[in-house]
Amino acid sequence: MHSLVGFSVFGVDWIFLRPYIVLGLALGGAYALSGVGLVVLYRATGVLNIAFGAVGAAGALIAYYLVNHTSWPHWLAYLICVLFGGAVNLLYGVVIGPAFAARDPLVKMMGTLGLALILLGLMAWRAPAGGAFVRVLILPTTNHRFELFGAIVNWTQVISLVFALVLTAGTTAFLRFTSLGTAMRALANDREISATLGVPVRRVEAMAWLGSGLICGAAGLLLADLFTSLDYAALTFLVISSLAAALIGRLRSLWVTMAGGIAVGFFQAVFSPYQNISNYRTATPFVLSIVALLYLSRHRVVTISRSAH
Amino acid sequence: MIEVESLTVRFAGVIPLDDVSVSFPGGTCGLIGPNGAGKTTFFNVLSGFVRPAAGSISAFGENLLKLADYRRARWGLRRTFQTEMAIEKLSVFDNVAMIHEHSGAKRGSRRADVLAAIDFVGLEASPKSKVGGLPARDRRLVEIARAVVGAPRVVLLDEPAAGLPDEETGLLSEVIQKIPDRFGALVILVDHDMTLVSACCQTTAVLDFGKLIASGPTAEVLRNEHVMRAYLGTEEEL
Amino acid sequence: MLKRAVVIAVLLVFVVVVLPTQVGADWITTFTSVGIYSLVALGLGILYGRVGMISLGQVALLVVGTWTGTRLSYLTHLPFPLMLLATGAITCVVGVLIGLPALRLSGLYLALITLMAAGGVTVVLTAINFPNGGGGFTGRSVAIDLTNVPPVRRPSIAIADVAYFRYVVVVCVVMFLLALAHVATKPGRAWASIRESEPAALAAGVNITLYKMWAFALSAFMAGVAGCLLAAQVGAPSAQGFQTQDSLTLLATTLIGGIYSLWGAIVSGIFIQLVPFIFQAQWGINPNFLLIIFGVGILQVLLTAPGGLVEQVPKDLKNLARLLYKGVRKLSGGRQKT
Repeated sequence: MHSLVGFSVFGVDWIFLRPYIVLGLALGGAYALSGVGLVVLYRATGVLNIAFGAVGAAGALIAYYLVNHTSWPHWLAYLICVLFGGAVNLLYGVVIGPAFAARDPLVKMMGTLGLALILLGLMAWRAPAGGAFVRVLILPTTNHRFELFGAIVNWTQVISLVFALVLTAGTTAFLRFTSLGTAMRALANDREISATLGVPVRRVEAMAWLGSGLICGAAGLLLADLFTSLDYAALTFLVISSLAAALIGRLRSLWVTMAGGIAVGFFQAVFSPYQNISNYRTATPFVLSIVALLYLSRHRVVTISRSAH
Repeated sequence: MIEVESLTVRFAGVIPLDDVSVSFPGGTCGLIGPNGAGKTTFFNVLSGFVRPAAGSISAFGENLLKLADYRRARWGLRRTFQTEMAIEKLSVFDNVAMIHEHSGAKRGSRRADVLAAIDFVGLEASPKSKVGGLPARDRRLVEIARAVVGAPRVVLLDEPAAGLPDEETGLLSEVIQKIPDRFGALVILVDHDMTLVSACCQTTAVLDFGKLIASGPTAEVLRNEHVMRAYLGTEEEL
Repeated sequence: MLKRAVVIAVLLVFVVVVLPTQVGADWITTFTSVGIYSLVALGLGILYGRVGMISLGQVALLVVGTWTGTRLSYLTHLPFPLMLLATGAITCVVGVLIGLPALRLSGLYLALITLMAAGGVTVVLTAINFPNGGGGFTGRSVAIDLTNVPPVRRPSIAIADVAYFRYVVVVCVVMFLLALAHVATKPGRAWASIRESEPAALAAGVNITLYKMWAFALSAFMAGVAGCLLAAQVGAPSAQGFQTQDSLTLLATTLIGGIYSLWGAIVSGIFIQLVPFIFQAQWGINPNFLLIIFGVGILQVLLTAPGGLVEQVPKDLKNLARLLYKGVRKLSGGRQKT
């Protein structure tokens, strides 16, 4: 593809744009992954888990510690990161989740805000980020690279994007073809009716928490690598990008969420080499979310009910 | 006098009100029908929450459908809801005063008007007490006081006695009967309690599946064969 | 009512007259920040506690206020009170724009859109950075010799830190009275009815659009005034002074303080500024662990104590007193029997 040298896109040479496209798609994959995790949990439990990023960041920190300060095999550290995500989410879902069951989605979300702050506090307290000290967590797959259309691609980036696709397809199939998936879809429609019809609500919800927690741990691991530095505050607030993806999917459609996640990652990265807008590229998830929310609200409906305080 | 001409409401696939023409002459008028007959939808059209597909409503010569929803209160439309809507965090006085504030009534007479309305419904609790701390009957009375303050012209009561035991409905019934004479307002009462409807309403209209099936003097309407069949089940006695 | 007014007056005299003579300079700076942040919390309290609209954008509005105050300080020669008002007014416009979707959205979606709008505003302000005395719209120049740039000006009667602290207290008192004047009268009652049920509010003749925007405008005005006060306190504000998690911390502390009470706003300011200061500067403990307490506090408030500390502490004290009283009676009763 060397014939493309000299080809420029809006004034930036293709050669300079290439690495950003690769990075963008990889990050997009991780956002898509998280977005799907958010949507699955929201549909089954009505909880929009703001702590998604914080849980992933904490898992990645634990993996970092195990890799650098113990002689444990690395794969075990990575596995523990993923399991940690599942465990924390499951614990929250089983212990605190039921207390919020009857509250409206806003209150449920604010509850996870509490979880996010607790984790953020734990991380800032036990592993403070200081000055020039930067933690780096590099997955073994990152060291294996190949060339694609003249761009250098590493295997972590490939895994990120492919995993997003596989997970979306897998989850869609799971929701459609398994009895647990059907139960989750039933909960999404109406909790109380499902409970009366004999759906074991608590158990199905616990599974949703566990599943989305595992995704959360995996996404944390991937993002810690893709971002090149393990900054837990930054990783915690990457939940914004995943939220944007979930909102583009109207908190319903897994495939649209996936596409949204990839779009968020892609645009954010691809704007980097453009000097005029480079500083504003981090606004991408915010702008896309706002557009998605405004689209969601295009119809105004008056519902007659007392607001739940 | 409210005149409704061929009022039709359509939601996707459902027709809660189908070509309804009816007039409410004055005093206290009943509006009854089985669940899902369209009574609350009719109130929602009057309130402006639901836009009808066709038809017109003229209330005392005013084309009600032309007014913006929140302006109808200023015109003199008041309503209560099936669920309690008195504001728990505010005192009884503030609850009633806030209706007065948006009714266009004179500010100078606010205190007197509000206290008069509270007195009218016979509420014994202090006007300063928080509504959240009152028993169910008193909270319903506060809602009636809210509905009659500040020169009302039309008062819509949607199951005002819902959730109250029979002995407490009696007082409510007396209060409702006094509204037209005292305030000169037309009252429309939706309720399932036939004792309450018979006691309060001179005329009554009956809806079933979105269609008007009878209207006229209450006693006659309740004896009407179609009404008995539609509303009370085929052979059952009152 | 009178008793309460006397207590407040005595408290104010203590804070303005006595307190500054008893503590050091770093304490005064911290107390000033407590006042400033309690104004932001006050705005959030009105939105969520009174109208039931959640906004995660209040800290972004504080940043907008700080930026605008700084810009106005370099651009104009307005006397400080006018600068405060102008900053409040400009922030107000931004706040109403962020609040516009509230006419259509509520609950979760409103929280999210204010979060996103605030995020967008923060990205823009971080990108253009704070004015440093340069020209143009951004008021920032990289070529400028920073040694000659004066800090953001303070009121001429309150240049020194102690005087400025007293000035901030007075501004806070005015703002709290403004809030009180709203919640105790027509707008407060209209907000309460919207919070209870929007259809009932409509049926009561409340112009929901007007009153919702009014609440957003008022809370943004307060955040703007707070921002201008902050700019003058810091002198040379920078984007690094604000952290991404600030809006979450603000929501947490405001909930913990008590969202339904104006006093809760002061508790919130204390939690955000004073408590970390005491841990860090006085005891040498990393205050980051406070985030854990805030997180637990949010869960606690949402699940068991919706009124926050302002409601819970008196209730608990009353229960404690009753328990003690019972215990004492039991003891004395027991003694009589034996």
